[in-house]
Formats: sequence, C-alpha cells, structure tokens
Amino acid sequence: LKITAQALALGLVAGLLALLVWQLGHQQHAPAVGAVAPTFTLHRLDGPGNVSLASYRGKPVVLNFWASWCNPCKSEAKVLERDWSSYRSRGVVFLGVDYHDLASDARRFVSHHRLTFTMLEDGSGNVTGSYGVSQVPETYVLNRQGRVVAHLAGPITDPGFSGQFRSAIAKAVA
Amino acid sequence: VILRFLAVAAAALAFAGPAAACAHPRTSLSYLQGQVMCPTCHTTLDMSNSPAAERIDVFISKKIDACWTAQQIEAALKANYGAGILAAPSHKGFDLLAWWLPIAGVLGGALVLAFGVWRWSRRREPDEPDEPTDSGLDEETERRLDDLLARFD
Repeated sequence: LKITAQALALGLVAGLLALLVWQLGHQQHAPAVGAVAPTFTLHRLDGPGNVSLASYRGKPVVLNFWASWCNPCKSEAKVLERDWSSYRSRGVVFLGVDYHDLASDARRFVSHHRLTFTMLEDGSGNVTGSYGVSQVPETYVLNRQGRVVAHLAGPITDPGFSGQFRSAIAKAVA
Repeated sequence: VILRFLAVAAAALAFAGPAAACAHPRTSLSYLQGQVMCPTCHTTLDMSNSPAAERIDVFISKKIDACWTAQQIEAALKANYGAGILAAPSHKGFDLLAWWLPIAGVLGGALVLAFGVWRWSRRREPDEPDEPTDSGLDEETERRLDDLLARFD
C-alpha cells in the first residue's frame, strides 16, 4: 500500500512537470524576422465575409494590430491611411487587425479616422496571440512569400520606427 | 479609477431616461463586472481599470439601460470576444470538467485524508496478544519455576 501511495505521488509530480513543460512549449512567441508569418482567416470588420492571409501570397503585406481603446493607435491611424494611399499603387496590401475590441467601437473608430484599407476583427485575440502581440499597436511587414521582413512593436509614428517601417516596405516590395 | 468611475457614471446618466421601465428585474453593472473578464489583463472587470475594460463597462451600462438581461449581455460579449470573456466556464461539453474536477479533487482529498487518519489510529492501538507468549524455557525449567513461584502464593 505504501508503494502504491509513493507511486501515486510520483505520478502526480510527473504529471505536473509534464503540464509545466507543455505550457512552456506552447507559449506564443512573435514570429522572427525571416520566418513565415502565421496564417489566419478572420471576419471582415468593414463588411461581410472572411479574409485569409494566404490569399495575399505574392503581395507585400503590412499587418497592423490595433484597438479602438488604444490611444497611440489614434495618431497612427492617420499615418497608416496616408501610407496605404501612397503604397497601394505598388501592390502593397494593408490589413488592420482589430484586437480585443467591441466591433461597434472598432467600426466607429474606422469611420471616424476614415480608414479605407481592409479591416479584420479578432475579438478573441487568438490571431493576435499567434503573432505574440501583447500590446497594441504593433505592425508586421511581410514580403511576397509571406515571410516577416520587420516587426515593429509600437506605433509606426515613433521616431525610431518610421524609418524602419518605410525601409521594411521597400525591402518587401523588392 | 476616478476617470473610469466618471465614465461609467456619465454613461449611466446619459441612458437613464429611456431606461425607466423594464419588464424584468434589472441586472447590475457590479454583478456583471464579476462575471466578465478584462480581455487584455485576464482579471475580472471589477479588478481592472484598463482601457479595454472601461469600454466593456460602458457597453454593459448601455445594455442594462436598454433592459437587456445579464444572459443577453453575456451572450453578446461572448459573440464579440469569444467564450474566454466569461469568468465562469460554460456547463456544457469539455468546459464541464472545470466544474467537476475541483469537486472530484476535494472528494478525493477527503478520502485520502480519511484513509490516512484511519490507518494512523489503527497503528496506535496496542496489539492484544492472542496467545501467551513463548518464554523460551524448556518444559522442565518452566515446571520448576512454577513450583518455586507457587511457594509465594
């Protein structure tokens, strides 16, 4: 009986250790530069239907994670819209992913800032999590093969990021 | 916290007019704040003052004023944010485990404890000898010893 109790205790400890290892192994990390960006399909925020990232393979993609409750996103929105207008003729796709947000608030935000690039909703934050985004705004620039060219963990309006953003787009387009 | 309180109070005041009458008892913001999670900070709304939580507070206040029930509000939030927005898991499917496992754990623990106490109390009971113990003396010596002791009786 004593051996059974010891085996049970050992089994319990081994189970807890396995759980810890599994948890550590499944933590979501930001995809590294050069890695293929995680694929996803999300509902459109600005209309009916879904959008899949895979459908943009062959085109450079700017993937911007934002939320209506995020203050830096407000100043960034204007810049993103301006950049979208100037880069769209070169085949660059801009995708906005609204994260952990009320869809009604997000639509109001899009309308208020007159954003015209494709907007997607990720209310559950699952897709955002797969990109390792912990706070918005964050932006990924992907090349035509769907690989990460740059990851900007902050507003692209930041002095440190604005130049990096443009050079990443130039690299993704090339 | 003050800003959050003011925002909620302002929302409540703004919608106080049309919310005069409801066909059912009105739910409360404080109740739902304990039932709904803040999506960015993973605590319930009443423990959070993040901007995302504030927006949900405002949403809930508006829906309460529009006579929505707690179930309707929770369903709307679940549709928007997914099941993870609710603090309590559902009573269906795999989520049911979250309700039963703690109960099974407590019962299992109580059983182990009871068994341990039972074993401990048995170990402490003095053993009653069923038969006289063997003295280790041969029969002749034992007889002589009995005779000797009989003299003192």
